[in-house]
Amino acid sequence: MSELLRIEHISKRFGDFYANRNIDLTVERGEIHTLLGENGAGKSTLMNILAGLYQPTEGKIFLEGKEVHIESPSQAVSLGIGMVHQHFMLVDAMTVFENIILGDRRSKGIFIDRAARRKEIEELAARYGFQIQLDRQITEISVGEQQRVEILKALYRGAQLLILDEPTAALTDIEVEGLFRVVNRLKEEGKSIIFISHKMREVLHISDRITILRGGEAVATINRDEMDGQQLASLMIGRELSESHYEKRNTAEKTVAVLDHVSYHKNSKHNGLADVDMKIHAGEIVGIAGVDGNGQTQLAQMLTGVIWPEEGHIQLKNSNVGVFDPLQFIQNGTAHVPEDRNLQGLVSDMSIADNIVLKRTESEEFSKGHGLFLKKKAISAYASEMAGKYDIRCRSIYQDVRSLSGGNQQKVILARELESNPDLLVAAHPTRGLDIGATRFVRDQMCAARDRGVGVVLISADFDEILEMSDRILVLFEGRIMGEYSGKNPPIKEISMAMTGK
Amino acid sequence: MRKGKNSMAGIVVPLLSIVLALLIGAIIMVCLGANPATAMKNLAIGAFGSKPNIGTTLTKATPLIFTSLCACFAYKCGVFNLGGEGQFIMGSIAAIYVTLVTGITGVPAMLLALAAGAAAGGIWGFLPGILKITRGQNEMITSIMFNYIATLLMGVVYTNWLRDGSVPQTQAVPKESQIPRVITGMRFTWGFVIAVVLGLILYYFLFRTSGGFKLRAVGINATAARFNGFPVRRLMLFSFIVSGAIAGLGGSAELLGTQFRLINGFASGYGFDGVAMALIGQLNPIATIFVALFFAALRAGATTMQAATGVPTSVSDIIQALVIVFTVAGMALTKLPEFTAFLQNRSHKNGKEVRD
Amino acid sequence: MNFVTNLLLATVRMAIPILFIAIGEMYSERAGMVNIGLEGLAAIGSLVGFLMCFITGSTWLGIFCGALVGIAVNMIYAFATINLCANHTVYGMAINIFAPALASFIYRVYFGKGSDLSQITLMKGLGIPGLKNIPLVGELLFNQTPMVYLAFLLVIFTAVFFRRTRSGLNYRAVGENPKAAATLGINVIGVKYLSCVICGALAGIGGAYLTTCYSNTYTEGNIAGRGFIALAAVIFGRWSAGGILLACLFFGFCDALQIRLQVAGLGIPYQFFQMIPFAATILALTLIGGRKLGPKAAGKPYRKEER
Repeated sequence: MSELLRIEHISKRFGDFYANRNIDLTVERGEIHTLLGENGAGKSTLMNILAGLYQPTEGKIFLEGKEVHIESPSQAVSLGIGMVHQHFMLVDAMTVFENIILGDRRSKGIFIDRAARRKEIEELAARYGFQIQLDRQITEISVGEQQRVEILKALYRGAQLLILDEPTAALTDIEVEGLFRVVNRLKEEGKSIIFISHKMREVLHISDRITILRGGEAVATINRDEMDGQQLASLMIGRELSESHYEKRNTAEKTVAVLDHVSYHKNSKHNGLADVDMKIHAGEIVGIAGVDGNGQTQLAQMLTGVIWPEEGHIQLKNSNVGVFDPLQFIQNGTAHVPEDRNLQGLVSDMSIADNIVLKRTESEEFSKGHGLFLKKKAISAYASEMAGKYDIRCRSIYQDVRSLSGGNQQKVILARELESNPDLLVAAHPTRGLDIGATRFVRDQMCAARDRGVGVVLISADFDEILEMSDRILVLFEGRIMGEYSGKNPPIKEISMAMTGK
Repeated sequence: MRKGKNSMAGIVVPLLSIVLALLIGAIIMVCLGANPATAMKNLAIGAFGSKPNIGTTLTKATPLIFTSLCACFAYKCGVFNLGGEGQFIMGSIAAIYVTLVTGITGVPAMLLALAAGAAAGGIWGFLPGILKITRGQNEMITSIMFNYIATLLMGVVYTNWLRDGSVPQTQAVPKESQIPRVITGMRFTWGFVIAVVLGLILYYFLFRTSGGFKLRAVGINATAARFNGFPVRRLMLFSFIVSGAIAGLGGSAELLGTQFRLINGFASGYGFDGVAMALIGQLNPIATIFVALFFAALRAGATTMQAATGVPTSVSDIIQALVIVFTVAGMALTKLPEFTAFLQNRSHKNGKEVRD
Repeated sequence: MNFVTNLLLATVRMAIPILFIAIGEMYSERAGMVNIGLEGLAAIGSLVGFLMCFITGSTWLGIFCGALVGIAVNMIYAFATINLCANHTVYGMAINIFAPALASFIYRVYFGKGSDLSQITLMKGLGIPGLKNIPLVGELLFNQTPMVYLAFLLVIFTAVFFRRTRSGLNYRAVGENPKAAATLGINVIGVKYLSCVICGALAGIGGAYLTTCYSNTYTEGNIAGRGFIALAAVIFGRWSAGGILLACLFFGFCDALQIRLQVAGLGIPYQFFQMIPFAATILALTLIGGRKLGPKAAGKPYRKEER
């Protein structure tokens, strides 16, 4: 094998913060090289440097032994580096075909030579065993297909080195298998692949070599068979992984919410709910397992009054909801940790204090005369107290929420939602994008809420999180509940199958 | 401390913009062959040089304060009401009808005319508002279309319905129904006082009440506001109506206090000027009042300047326009991460710690 | 000529300025730049077009300089929104305030306080031999000023550009998903600036058309909302050249109709007829509702290294 890529002493600084510090890495031809690390370890930053999106603050990059400066994405492309971003870089309003030929520099002429381009793409697809519908719009095809379009896009541009950023995050197990077949086929053809992941199982399955990143630095590079999952995990986190299991409960307490044959956009596989029946009891965590985009968003919004059912009924506290409006649900004791913190949960250009009291400015505690005069001092004092209680790390409670890290933003939301003493907590992907410390904090808080008697609905695409937290597990597939399982010793195989609709 | 820095920028940027705009104004004056120092001096004298001159400045400021508060209030709720001018005009049409047609006279007529003005403006604000929240229409385009319709309607009123003889204008508001002046010898009326008080009330509402808090939250992030149980559409409609009512009140106050009759060109440009002033004032009602005073001073002073030095009054329009061009760009600049980083680096080098 | 022919002729004439401006805005929005400063750009284009024509006597030079000044003023917008990430709407408004002020300043400085309106000779019509003799159609489409032909050619060019060419595809990607476009080596900033050049030029031409081909004099406020109606035309025409053409013809028709009705008298105050184009704009927008069909990333700032 010969060396394709070598990077030496790469650092990348954002303001005062080093996202990458002094990283060395080599990738051989025909190798699958994994970058392993938890969220915020600097994997994506490093890859964005290779893809020409970021410029390194320091360090050198060599391709086939020659030093290169990758100043723009187009240069990366011409050097044979192709990247499949975690959030696909596809233009939704265009067809698969248009997306593949977008920005193509090799063909000449003013007009798009559809016939010739199609032939090229079809040949390429056949060579790697892709099935692809060129004339469909991006919005009409599945996530797995979109990913294949991304890979094809890179190959079409002559990529020798393919970077796959968290490619399995949004895929079902079956789709993951398909992806791995493609990746192995690419390897046989002599392409090199950088595979980014934090999922141990996959990493050990697919990689030739593994480089572990932690806190922006490369801690080690090893061959696959040198270590087992446990050792890798310890390296990744920087300490021994303590087996922390939350206590599982079996409750038959009073119900706090009931969905009774609820449907919403029934025929939409990815954005609807079909005939969903579920009960949430006080003092339990109900985990909703499933691959992203199978109705989770709609379920969370249904349970919080943001959208309303087209069929069926919802009961809160044993009475049917008549008015579907978030305010109605809030007044009936529903708390919501929404999936998109910045868009849905926080008014980011307002202060931490404002966001903590957001829903309660009319209360006696914070204003006189039902909102006619805000008690600024009381608000400040309360916000400071909450900042302490929920460990919100900030310079001042008057700081804009926008300037906080994701973990601290999530804590602001938790402080607001949990202090309202809810009966029902709907948490959608509450730990997505958070570091280990914040993740632990959020999980502990959810568990504590459960212990206080709150009914918790935990919606997460992170299967491990569902397994670790849930007292009861429901599987959502294409808007339907595929099965219900106990959280104690859950049948993992069976649940995985249910997640793919079987 | 970030908050402090932000509000610092909110003051420094507009002031710098004003200085820069005046500087360019001076350069233009030089190009026109005038001595900028003399011209500027006359500008200042025209605006503040005597009791009557100050009175004129305050008179000119009055309608501007109303239209800028109108813009300010709407934008705080995230709705881009560009219809201040139309709402202002509708207010003045309502006022002229009350004072000329109903037969009521004196102070009751005046008060009724003010109320009718606010109501008419409110209705004219309601229209683009309801079209936005029910049909999702672009409120900028519709509110401007309503401006043109209002202007034309005013045309019907002064050329046709309430035409005063052969001249295309309405009769004047009877003396006893006019808004009285505050101080004899100075032109400005109680309308100015109403405008300032209104600014203070709006400030209080926006920053000290729960309703204002919610309105601002909707303006910053309507989605989050909805998820958190705020009645987003109702707040948007409310802000449209109130903002229209503010302009309408301004229109009736202008008619009853200063213009007395509707005539071609009445209120022309006030709407967009209001938008500019609200933006320069960083959507803060009190700051907006000061900006309006500054704009009014430029206008009041421009006539004296023209008489003394021959520099055309439109130079002052250019200066006003430059202030808005610079302020908006300047505010955007201060929000760029590169700029913040640059500031931090510099103060690090100076040995100061800004982060805490 | 009868009433209908007259009406249709006027429809085409009235649609042209809006068409230029609206196509300009389409280029802008297709690159993600929502420019509501069209009214201002057209105003300055109109003045400069008039002035150049007045000085040199050449309508073509007037049109050309109108385009140039439109570009120049729009570069302020481009810099503020692209480089400084200023809010598009807010900055568009700033242009709407700045450009007309500049226009009226230049006019007053040049013509002094003289109250008599200066006039110019309008651009001559150019009949296309043969074709212009076809009844109705010939009169409508082939016996107009060259600017009308140019406008129609522009529509065809624009339609082909966005639908059939590689550059058009890349250009569209910038407005839909600039990050994706950047990863494919498309020069996002470059396209955005290009869009502002095109938009500034076309809005300037639209304004200059009014003084060099339509009315032979310049008056303040002569754009009369056409910049905003053009914005509506882009929405109404669903961001496609053909759709925008139809939308502009519709608005042109409303304008033509109101003039005919004014002339006809009917004893109704003429201002009510003048309201027709504005009311029609509101009505048109109400009918299509708020369905968001435009480019996805329109109005959003684009930053190269964003975390």
